[in-house]
Amino acid sequence: MAQERVLVVVETVGSEARPASLELFGAGRPLADRLGGELVGLVIGSGVQRVAELAGHLGADRVLLADDPALGEPVAARAARAVEAAIAASDPALILLPATTLGRDVAPLLAATFRAAHLVNCVRIEVDDETVTATRPVYQDKLLTTVRAARSQRVFVTVRSGAFAVPEAQPGLQVPIEQLAVSLTDADRAVVVTQLVEKPKGMTNLENAPIVVVGGRGVGSAENFRLVEELAAALDGAVGCTRAVSDLGWRPHYEQIGQTGKNIRPKLYLGVGVSGAVQHTVGMRSSDTIVVINRDPNAPLVKMADFAIVGDLFEIVPRLTKRLRELRGTA
Amino acid sequence: MKIAVLVKQVPDPNAIRFDPRLGDLVPGTPQATNEYDLYAVEAALRMKEQVSGAEVVVASVGTARETLNRCLAMGADRAVAIEGPGLPGDSLATARALAAWLRREAPDLIWAGQETSDAGTGNVGPQVAALLGIPLVSNVVGWEYRDGVLTLEREIEDGHQFQQVQPPALLCALSALDEPRLPTLRGIMEARRKPSERLSPVDLGLTEEDLTPVVSWGGLFLEEEKAAGIVLRDVDPDQAVEQLVAFLQERRLI
Repeated sequence: MAQERVLVVVETVGSEARPASLELFGAGRPLADRLGGELVGLVIGSGVQRVAELAGHLGADRVLLADDPALGEPVAARAARAVEAAIAASDPALILLPATTLGRDVAPLLAATFRAAHLVNCVRIEVDDETVTATRPVYQDKLLTTVRAARSQRVFVTVRSGAFAVPEAQPGLQVPIEQLAVSLTDADRAVVVTQLVEKPKGMTNLENAPIVVVGGRGVGSAENFRLVEELAAALDGAVGCTRAVSDLGWRPHYEQIGQTGKNIRPKLYLGVGVSGAVQHTVGMRSSDTIVVINRDPNAPLVKMADFAIVGDLFEIVPRLTKRLRELRGTA
Repeated sequence: MKIAVLVKQVPDPNAIRFDPRLGDLVPGTPQATNEYDLYAVEAALRMKEQVSGAEVVVASVGTARETLNRCLAMGADRAVAIEGPGLPGDSLATARALAAWLRREAPDLIWAGQETSDAGTGNVGPQVAALLGIPLVSNVVGWEYRDGVLTLEREIEDGHQFQQVQPPALLCALSALDEPRLPTLRGIMEARRKPSERLSPVDLGLTEEDLTPVVSWGGLFLEEEKAAGIVLRDVDPDQAVEQLVAFLQERRLI
């Protein structure tokens, strides 16, 4: 039977994969197994042969490589043409893209062209013989809903960052890499990139950091954030903050977690003086382990936590930092 | 220059409350204009002020009288409401209805909000661009129009990307653009005399099949809360720290 393959689209930045797109292998493998078809990886970029090899190590049965200088910068029309070429080459039932700014341009562009469904920013995805069913946040992440699309047509799905884990790489897996020729039309080249002003380094670190220490309004002042920074350093983690804190100007906006900031899914989230307003928790609720230090036993984050200390952060945080430093010193 | 702006009326995001028995919002939630759309209207009006003889037309699919009136009061020249059976359907049906209207209008530029605060698919803008075969520039936080060329500043993961494109194009606005103006009393008075059109799918030559949804929606629900974890209260700070360190070691986090 045709249309049983799953195509996952790997976006790149420079010569590296964008981390959110590697999570697609975690999302795509069970779907391909359920459909009984191949998991096909498409790598889009310029000078990204190594990412194509990585796609094989992460479980792709087949890897298509669209490697072209014109694909080295994120432009929707060009990336859409590459995905279209990959669809022609692999005839997938399901096309997974990361819910990045590029993925969320490319998926609806192609969905309109194919007159197909685009299930947006999904956190859970299931397939059966007739239908693709997905769970996605709506109302600015305050609620969830279920969306369905018939499998009579290809279905595009963008996958929310942090919803699926990246499979463990198996460097032993050797998968043939097929070069995919992408011919861009004049219309595809209508948009020209003139400049990229990069963001400060800390920002990308925060989204991928395995340990994040977040300070909330309870920290009290910009100066007091020294305690949060020292704790983060002792844990080798990144520093994040809540919206209240960035609105007060204590920390830069790019450290903000939640609704109008970043979504994170670290192995360890440690909240200090964070009460846990829903605007914040939507950006961190899928963290593996949540630890909270807060004065208020009724704070929503205390209820969400795997481990909470109800107490004065100014008494606890310095002691914790000191203890962690001692442990590292003896290790 | 003709500029079209695509707008939507949505449940006021600051007023929504969830009714778990209904699996839906509490009935009677107040409506508001989607916030990003107001930024798109503002950008279009500023562009109009820069180019002599320009016109701004706002359009919406589904019930949106207050929203369209507000856009007219802000300074848009005319409004179009696309309503009727099958609308609003899914995002593709909405995009097809808008594209059918836009083919008639043939604007030089189309502005839309990046996404809505309700369903938030962000599909309609890109889908309209694809259906019309014009370039898409999303996540716009700044623009400049000079000598027939648009320079657009976009906020993306890696920083701020600048793209250039010649009209026609579809632009999706984020809220880092200029603050939307509030309607003035004079604007509200003038809005009443501005042309306002109501079009049905039949008027636009759309069949039932054109508007058949490809995505169906279930009810709304809340994420299940995690099981309660360990909570230390009234524990001596040193002892609390020791217990936390032991917990982190047990989970191999340190």
